[in-house]
Amino acid sequence: MSWISARTFALDCALLTLLLASAAVSAQSQGASHHDVVIKNATVMTVTHGNITNGSIYIKDGKIAAVGETVNAPAGTTVIDAGGKYLTPGIVDSHSHIALDDDVNEATSPITPHMMMKDAFDYQDKAIYRALAGGVTTSLLLHGSANMIGGQAVVIKHKYGDSRDAMLFPNAPRSIKFASGENPKRVYGSRDQLPSTRMGNFAVQRQALIEAQEYMREWDGYNDKVKRGDKDATPPKRDLKLEALADVLRGKIMVQIHIYRADEMLTEIAIAKEFGYKIRAFHHALEAYKVADQVAGNDIAIATFADWWGYKQEAWDAIPWNAVMCMRKGVRVAIKSDSEDYTRRLNQEAAKTIRYGGATEEEALKMITLNPAWIIGVDDRVGSIDVGKDADLVIWDGYPLSTTGVPEKVLIDGDVYFDRAQPGLGTTHYKEGE
Amino acid sequence: MTQPTKPVWSERPRPLLLTLTLILTLTFPTQALTQDKPIVLKGGKVLTVSHGAIENGAIVMQGGKIAAVGSASSVNIPTDAQVIDATGMTIYPGLIDSETQLGLTEISAEEMTNDLVEMSDEIMPHIHTAEAFHAESVLIPVARMNGITNAVVAPDSGDTLPGQDSFIQLAGANATEMLLIRDNAMPLNFTGEQRRNKGGFEKSKFPSTRMGLAAQLRQAFLDAQDYQSKWKDYERKKADAAQSKDTKDSKDKVAKDKKSEPTPPKRDLKLEALLPYLEGKKTIVLAAESPSDLQTAVSLANEFRLKFVLNHISHSQPVLDYVASLKVPVIVGPIYEAPKEDERYDTVYSLPAQLYKRGVKIAFASYSAHNVRNLPDQAGFATAFGLPYDEALKAITLNAAEIWGVADQLGSLDVGKTANVVVANGDPLDIKTDVKQVFIAGREVPMTDRQVHLRDEYSK
Repeated sequence: MSWISARTFALDCALLTLLLASAAVSAQSQGASHHDVVIKNATVMTVTHGNITNGSIYIKDGKIAAVGETVNAPAGTTVIDAGGKYLTPGIVDSHSHIALDDDVNEATSPITPHMMMKDAFDYQDKAIYRALAGGVTTSLLLHGSANMIGGQAVVIKHKYGDSRDAMLFPNAPRSIKFASGENPKRVYGSRDQLPSTRMGNFAVQRQALIEAQEYMREWDGYNDKVKRGDKDATPPKRDLKLEALADVLRGKIMVQIHIYRADEMLTEIAIAKEFGYKIRAFHHALEAYKVADQVAGNDIAIATFADWWGYKQEAWDAIPWNAVMCMRKGVRVAIKSDSEDYTRRLNQEAAKTIRYGGATEEEALKMITLNPAWIIGVDDRVGSIDVGKDADLVIWDGYPLSTTGVPEKVLIDGDVYFDRAQPGLGTTHYKEGE
Repeated sequence: MTQPTKPVWSERPRPLLLTLTLILTLTFPTQALTQDKPIVLKGGKVLTVSHGAIENGAIVMQGGKIAAVGSASSVNIPTDAQVIDATGMTIYPGLIDSETQLGLTEISAEEMTNDLVEMSDEIMPHIHTAEAFHAESVLIPVARMNGITNAVVAPDSGDTLPGQDSFIQLAGANATEMLLIRDNAMPLNFTGEQRRNKGGFEKSKFPSTRMGLAAQLRQAFLDAQDYQSKWKDYERKKADAAQSKDTKDSKDKVAKDKKSEPTPPKRDLKLEALLPYLEGKKTIVLAAESPSDLQTAVSLANEFRLKFVLNHISHSQPVLDYVASLKVPVIVGPIYEAPKEDERYDTVYSLPAQLYKRGVKIAFASYSAHNVRNLPDQAGFATAFGLPYDEALKAITLNAAEIWGVADQLGSLDVGKTANVVVANGDPLDIKTDVKQVFIAGREVPMTDRQVHLRDEYSK
């Protein structure tokens, strides 16, 4: 930005703020109307094809229409001068429990695959906005880990201030939460119920899957009869629980497993093979570095912490090099929050992988963008700055992979939902403080 | 002239053959911390904290102390010194964490590994963290590896008066060496968390309200005052008796004098422990979050003329001018404390900067055991919300040393101070910075811990 005077730049910034503010306000009041925008003079961190200094992005209809050193856009398109600041894809959090109003665990039975997190989704929860202020644009809201098989997740976009339905990620794939280890055995063991051991955990899981196989066979038989034109065929009774598990066996729902210990990872891999489903990701996965080859070999991603450890026995062998050691063995690695607090600063957590193990800048960034997007199954739509993807973008004040860099503006589908100069944009919840 | 030796941090990761040795050194050190011969760090950027940064600086550590610090060309290098080339490195004082639970816990969820707080009563000033401090804790080398060399060890905040803090050094032969100051301060917690009101009216016990907590605290300090006067009274009578005994030497009076010898009051550990605080000899760490709790706690402290510093005050933004008027330092945050419903997203993020602007001396604390190593991240984060860099660095070094009364020994790179020195490949507030070597009292601390061992074990 050396070629423009400081004064011009200041004016640009003021104008930009006004434009973005009006764009956001109208987008929020009118629903899905998008303003086409060109962001120029940004250091674009694409995640997939390197950085573009003095780069530009053309956003059309909420999507990235062009990206490069220069872009072609119709005359009259609003131009934002990013003043050389960093521009990254929106952060994706692949493990979150915010906005569920404490309804995280239906801890009344170890098998509850028919719980739908969408039914508890509290779209007004301010945690959504606070995460947004940290650059998060997409989150996977998962059931908790009390049950061996928990509920089905909801994928949200952090369009805080919009309606509930506008915040649901359109046509996101289905995910289900499985769990293992200490949590299920503690929850049910403390009530003198099955499971109270890891053996019990897996027995309960297997039993449920066997029942689902049976249920699936009944329905397959019925559907075959219908297909053959058998008019007397009577449909089996629908069972929400088994229907959900049958969809797991049919590969229609992605399996996200809460898991710490390496031995349990091997057991879960074996069970998945036994029943013919695929595991999408191991979550937490603090001991994945011990079995990284097997995890990579089964195309299972991990969603892990950067350096959390020691909070329970099964987190005792956690090491901060886990993410990079697994990545070097070919595992797709995401850094996730599992926390209303950490989801506000996942960029800092990702930066730790540079320090612990020497991830490159792009590798670190990928762990909070494209890789978590893959875990959620939306990597074709978000997670990098590529043509055709949703315009979910963060303009950073400072360097993103640091503690000192913070989002200045966050765009989702091309509209500004967070602006540091106007905190509380799109909502009346925020009082003007000091 | 001594030739520079190869820097220790330039070595490749230790060969696997050394694994056994590593295990043995995990609980370092087994002998007393004494520095054998002078060590000089030469080259590199020296962040003195007290008097600016020195590019291409040098620091001489001798006898566990900093013997010289200055530019590489000006510093006098002792002939027998081991000279380490620190070119390209950043050298800064050991970091100080103003509240931790180091040595009081290993695995949070495993109760048998926790010695955090006595919850049987709210008034527990006779509890000494020093007496539970576990010098061999696996957590200590993990924190040390990131340049944290000193810390306050505090009991958990479940009680209003949960017991007394310790000020530690993160290396030493045993607890005795690591506990630099026992009972250096005492928390007084008034955040509402201390109420015994869990489970509704039926299960509540006194004190289940803030009124109860305050009344109980007031009574405890009144009892201590009473105890204090009883003992003073006793000492006076004893002195009088001794005097009269000296002056009357007639033998037949001896028996009678013995009878008039005063009886000492019954010792009470709790009240006895409160006396140094009542007398203003030691510091109370006054924790509150909201403006109302803060003002209640401060008026209580003032009523008994306690010497105090403030802790947390994460939700006291509306009264920061009042905070400044108290003219006491603040252990702030943590900066990650969630805002209240009606607070802006950055309310707590900007608190350190807002306090600094009002002239308040601040220090950061991890309020943690496992995450002590991440202390500098808070300082870095605060700069993104307006805290000047120099102040952020001070808040984890010199300010902390001043608050805890050890600034004559710690907190900056100055001649005569303890040689707690960190050598890193970058700035202390940069989260990507890798600490290469830590010196505590002039001794090279082994740069390994249980996690490094696991990493190497599984990197074969």
